[in-house]
Amino acid sequence: MLHSQLAWYVGGPVLGLCVVAWRALFNSRLGVTGGVSEIIGKLASRSLDFDWRGWFAIGLVAGATAFALVVGGPTFHDYGWLTDTFHGSSRVWIGAILLVSGGLIGYGAKLSGGCTSGNGLSGTSILSPASLVATGTFFATAIVVSFLIEAVV
Amino acid sequence: MAGAAIGAVFGATLCWTGMISPDVIRDALLFHDPYLFLFFGSAVATAAVGTRLLRRVRSRALLVDAPLHWSPERVERRHVAGALIFGTGWGVAEACPGPVLAQVGQGIGWGAITLAGVVAGVWLHLRQGAAETEPATQAASTKVPPARSEALA
Repeated sequence: MLHSQLAWYVGGPVLGLCVVAWRALFNSRLGVTGGVSEIIGKLASRSLDFDWRGWFAIGLVAGATAFALVVGGPTFHDYGWLTDTFHGSSRVWIGAILLVSGGLIGYGAKLSGGCTSGNGLSGTSILSPASLVATGTFFATAIVVSFLIEAVV
Repeated sequence: MAGAAIGAVFGATLCWTGMISPDVIRDALLFHDPYLFLFFGSAVATAAVGTRLLRRVRSRALLVDAPLHWSPERVERRHVAGALIFGTGWGVAEACPGPVLAQVGQGIGWGAITLAGVVAGVWLHLRQGAAETEPATQAASTKVPPARSEALA
C-alpha cells in the first residue's frame, strides 16, 4: 500500500493540517527553508540549540528515513531529466547542475521569504499578497523552465 | 519536540505522495499529470479553512506565549526576484527544499548534492546580513524569550 502514491485528497489535507497545527502551537508560518536557515545560523555560531523550526527540518529528514525503512528502500532511483540525459562519465554534470540549482533554490527562497511551504502553503493560506505573488511567480517560472528543458534536451 | 513530530509527518507525506520524486514533479510541471496541483490546492484549502476555524476557537498559541495573530505582507521586489531565482532552481532540479531534505533522509545521494547547494545559497543570503525575510517567524521569535524556546527544543 505504501508503494502506491497516496491519494491527493488525503495527502493534501494532511499537509494543510500540519500548517494549522504549526499555527496553533507556535503562531508562526511553517516553512522548510526557515528550518534550514535556523540550523545554518545556529551552526555558524557554534550552537546546537535549534528552535522548533530547526527541529521541524530534522523531523522532516527523520520522517523520510522512517518511510524508506518501512517500504524497504528509497522510493525512486533515476533522477528525472538529468539521469535521462547524462550517462556514464558525463554524470558529473548532474552533480554540478544540482549544486548550482540548490544554490538558486536556497538563495531565492530566502530572498522571497519562503519556499513552497513557507510562501506556497502557509503564506497563501492566510492570503498574504507577497506570498500569493511569490507562489504564482515560482510556479510559473518552474513550468517555463521545465518546458524549456523539455524542448532542448 | 512538537516541531520534530510535525516535521516527521510532513516528511513522510512528501514521500508517500511521490513529491520527492523528480519524475513526478516533471510530469506535473509539464502538465502531464494534475496530481501535484490537486495535492497542493487541497493542502492550501485545508490550511486556509483550518487556520480560520482555529482563530475562532482559540485566541492564543499553545506552546508559545503569543496571541494567534498574522497580518498580510505587502508585495516587494524581492518577492518577485527571489521567486524567479527559486523557480528556476526548482524547475532544473525538480525538487524544492522539503523534498530535498526528504531525499537525503531516504539516503538518495543526488539529494545530498542539491542540499549542499541549498545550504550554500541560504548561507550566502544570511552572510549578506539581510534582515530576516520571514516576518511571521521573526514576529514569533521576538515574542518568545530564549529560555522558553530552549525548553521547547
